[in-house]
Amino acid sequence: MSVIGKKINPIQSGQGPLDTSASPECIITPDDVLRLNKITDDYLCTPDANIYDIDFTRFKIRDLESGAVLFEIAKPPSEQYPENSVEEATLATEELTLDEPTDPNAGRYVRYQFTPQFLKLKTVGATVEFTVGTKPVNRFRMIERHFFRDRLLKTFDFEFGYCIPYSKNTCEHIYEFPNLPPDLITEMIANPFETRSDSFYFVEDRLVMHNKADYAYDGGLIH
Amino acid sequence: MGFLTVLKKMKQKEKEMRILILGLDNAGKTTILKRFNGEPIDTISPTLGFNIKTLEHRGYTLNMWDVGGQKSLRSYWRNYFECTDGLIWVVDSADRMRMEACREELGVLLEEERLAGATLLVLANKQDLPGALTSQEIKDILELDKITTHHWSVIGVSAVTGDKLLNAVDWLISDIAKRIFTLD
Repeated sequence: MSVIGKKINPIQSGQGPLDTSASPECIITPDDVLRLNKITDDYLCTPDANIYDIDFTRFKIRDLESGAVLFEIAKPPSEQYPENSVEEATLATEELTLDEPTDPNAGRYVRYQFTPQFLKLKTVGATVEFTVGTKPVNRFRMIERHFFRDRLLKTFDFEFGYCIPYSKNTCEHIYEFPNLPPDLITEMIANPFETRSDSFYFVEDRLVMHNKADYAYDGGLIH
Repeated sequence: MGFLTVLKKMKQKEKEMRILILGLDNAGKTTILKRFNGEPIDTISPTLGFNIKTLEHRGYTLNMWDVGGQKSLRSYWRNYFECTDGLIWVVDSADRMRMEACREELGVLLEEERLAGATLLVLANKQDLPGALTSQEIKDILELDKITTHHWSVIGVSAVTGDKLLNAVDWLISDIAKRIFTLD
């Protein structure tokens, strides 16, 4: 059971006029989330803000050096909830935590468990696959913010642009792993799930989806 | 945000290239994209939307867009023209039956105003197949010599073996860089 999935009273971050309660009337813009200096306490939109039926059907992480798939989770069309499929358990292990099926936040939160070696990778490719409903989607943009505690590790900001109705699309970001100082890496390994990310998805500058993930890097270590 | 940060940001933005990969269905667009990025190419199905890869290559951030080539999807191609620096037109060199359709579709793209500033790379793909037309033959059939509006090149490649693919993309990047980043 995820901690993030639990309802937490909204707390003002003190950074700008951002109301963290998930009110459908409140329009969250890209500028709002780019100003955030920590992980949000709650989801910034409700699941029904996704009026375009955008559905994430696959997440994959691969190591470009070895070609190994480190993590892959795909949603078969016939099944409602994502299924686990680990192809490379030696280098990195992962565990998917799903909320209770009745929880409206089910499927919005993923928990990753990696081994310490993950933090030593050089070049990584992160793929998302998603489908789009009956309506065309304009100016589809993803902003992803990765934090360890209150320290910003990385920001992804990418505009997919237009998406064709009924389409299935993929996007892979291939990037050099951030060069983290050794003491920070030690801290991240010693403090599982304090590395977290918020993924915000906008259509025409309007927040339509918000997903969360947290990460541990102590897989395979004896406590 | 300091002045240097602003400058650096602009610089990063300048170093971005947007490359659009188009062509008829089954030309091998997705296979080319995957091969270029070191991904397995054994399970590729028709693209019913787009595949994007963003990567660093020779100091540039490449945003490569592969959009499905089926006839029903071609009317959506225009949604991806904006800000394109390079157009890769992929040809199935063994598909002699559809060379005329291939020439016509490319002709339509070259008249497109929003692609006016793009370098054109024609990839005569599937050179590994027996009966594939050579890049010289593809050049003649597609009447590439008539193109005066775009920088262009035609290169015979095989996405399956990877032959000449990297050279071809490097030519495209160099040409774009010469046109756009002349002050560097």
